[in-house]
Amino acid sequence: MNPLSRLELEPRPLARAALATLALGGLVALGNGGGRWLDPALLGYLIASLFACFGVAYRYFTWLERPATAMYWRWTLRTFLSVRGLRALPRVGLKLLDQLFLQRFIGKRSIKRWGAHACLAWGCLLAFSVTFPLVFGWVRFTSDGANADRYQAWLFGMPAGSFPLGSATAFIAFHILDLAALMVIAGCVLAFLRRSTDEGDAATQRFDLDILPLLLLIAVSATGLLLTASETWLQGRNFGTLAFLHELTVILLLLFLPFGKLFHIVQRPAQAGVSLYKAEGDAQGLLPCRTCATPFIRPNHRRDLERLWLELGLDGARHPGGIHHLDLCPRCRRRLVMGAQSLRLHGAFDPFAEVPLPVEPLADPISFRS
Amino acid sequence: MVSEEYGFFIDPQRCIGCRSCVAACAECGTHRGHSMIHLDELDRSASTQTGPTVCMHCEDPVCAMSCPADAIKRTEDGVVHASQKPRCVACGNCEMSCPFGVPLVLPGLEQMLKCDLCYDRSSVGLKPMCATVCPSQALLFAPRHEVAAMRGSRPLREFQVGELLVRTRNAVMVPDPETPLHLDAALLLDGGF
Ligand code: SF4
Ligand code: SF4
Repeated sequence: MNPLSRLELEPRPLARAALATLALGGLVALGNGGGRWLDPALLGYLIASLFACFGVAYRYFTWLERPATAMYWRWTLRTFLSVRGLRALPRVGLKLLDQLFLQRFIGKRSIKRWGAHACLAWGCLLAFSVTFPLVFGWVRFTSDGANADRYQAWLFGMPAGSFPLGSATAFIAFHILDLAALMVIAGCVLAFLRRSTDEGDAATQRFDLDILPLLLLIAVSATGLLLTASETWLQGRNFGTLAFLHELTVILLLLFLPFGKLFHIVQRPAQAGVSLYKAEGDAQGLLPCRTCATPFIRPNHRRDLERLWLELGLDGARHPGGIHHLDLCPRCRRRLVMGAQSLRLHGAFDPFAEVPLPVEPLADPISFRS
Repeated sequence: MVSEEYGFFIDPQRCIGCRSCVAACAECGTHRGHSMIHLDELDRSASTQTGPTVCMHCEDPVCAMSCPADAIKRTEDGVVHASQKPRCVACGNCEMSCPFGVPLVLPGLEQMLKCDLCYDRSSVGLKPMCATVCPSQALLFAPRHEVAAMRGSRPLREFQVGELLVRTRNAVMVPDPETPLHLDAALLLDGGF
């Protein structure tokens, strides 16, 4: 038996994920002078990052192979490789800024959700943008030659400015991860508070999907902050143990990236492609419903959904006379159920018809609780 | 988990168009403030018939198959949930693909919402909001065995659109449940109600 099929791994995404990991490995080596500027203390993080890259890439490429995802992926690729796509780039940039950074759409769902999510998202993005370049050896700090009071920053092996110890720049450079950790912890606390009072979330949340990622983020942030506390106020007491715990939690978080909720970080940019797709359809004008003539579906959407339905084996959903079910607006689809029931009752609802009543009054075990 | 014993029975013929369900739906904890129930008129010029539509909770949900973000999940109890918030990219595939015209992608929210059988209530043994308030029991959530005693009609959970057969958790009440309910567009084109 093929070992891949026993593990239920798809060969094509597997090959692509391997290529993506190799590419990242190549870029890492290129940026750190073939390992010369790599910080050996961060080697564990680097290995975990490469594993995470493989896992995330594998899941991403598997996701792109789903027929419905492929529908948008193909369109996005085609569009961005065309002049039209290049022209749309500024618009896409603005969309991405709004959806990935400002996240105003979450604010419209609930302002509490937005607050929690903003702290989490910005904290994580800040932490990632600092940690990965450090781990990859792309950015590093050394003392400035003979001048022990100054720090020298290096970017891809090139000097990128120096600053005195004790300056505001030094404080920011050395504590920016603490700021990110505080934001993440605040976001997690807000998220837990919201979850504890939201009946909808309480009913649908799952430990592995919704709670575990928050616990992991808290563990990473708290151990990171404790490192600073040990160094600043405790003369480095327990620094080694804390550093080990921090590394362990970060590695766990990195390895968890492909599996859990955090995967949406790499999924979300797809929204910009979808917005562009919708704009293209809107510019073409909506197609009317075949029964009530109300305009309701974008032409590109109608065309691509028919192809998708064919791939999904749903193409038989055609009405006598050749009308595709996709050509009926949602309201007409709903009216059809009513109409079909009416027909079964021979088009007649007789309010005075005898309905057999239960002999005993029925106990109603589910009563309304306000 | 919603008990397998409990079913949701829809009887459009009983609907009196009072819109109580529409108001109550917005009180559901999983989508508070947004009513997900549709209350439609069959053909205003020819009939007083109105009918409520909730999600039918399909066995093989077309909405989920069509979702590019893999955001729609069906739990073991047969309930098909609204889109997962972190995943949904508001593409509208589900809205345009659902055979029954159920999901709604709300502008601005960038998210698909739909009836999830008031999961916060039904999963702890309470009736969904709409079934709680419906005065004519056009929307009924009850133990399956009691429905036979309550009604002259019987629950039907199979729907036919051309060659496509859709099986659902929720039922529509008909006198003869032996054959699927044919959803044929000709019904609407003839204006024969
Ligand atoms: S009725 Fe529509 S929304 Fe509900 S499960 Fe079926 S396809 Fe999905
Ligand atoms: S609108 Fe959301 S839930 Fe519906 S198909 Fe698109 S991504 Fe999936």
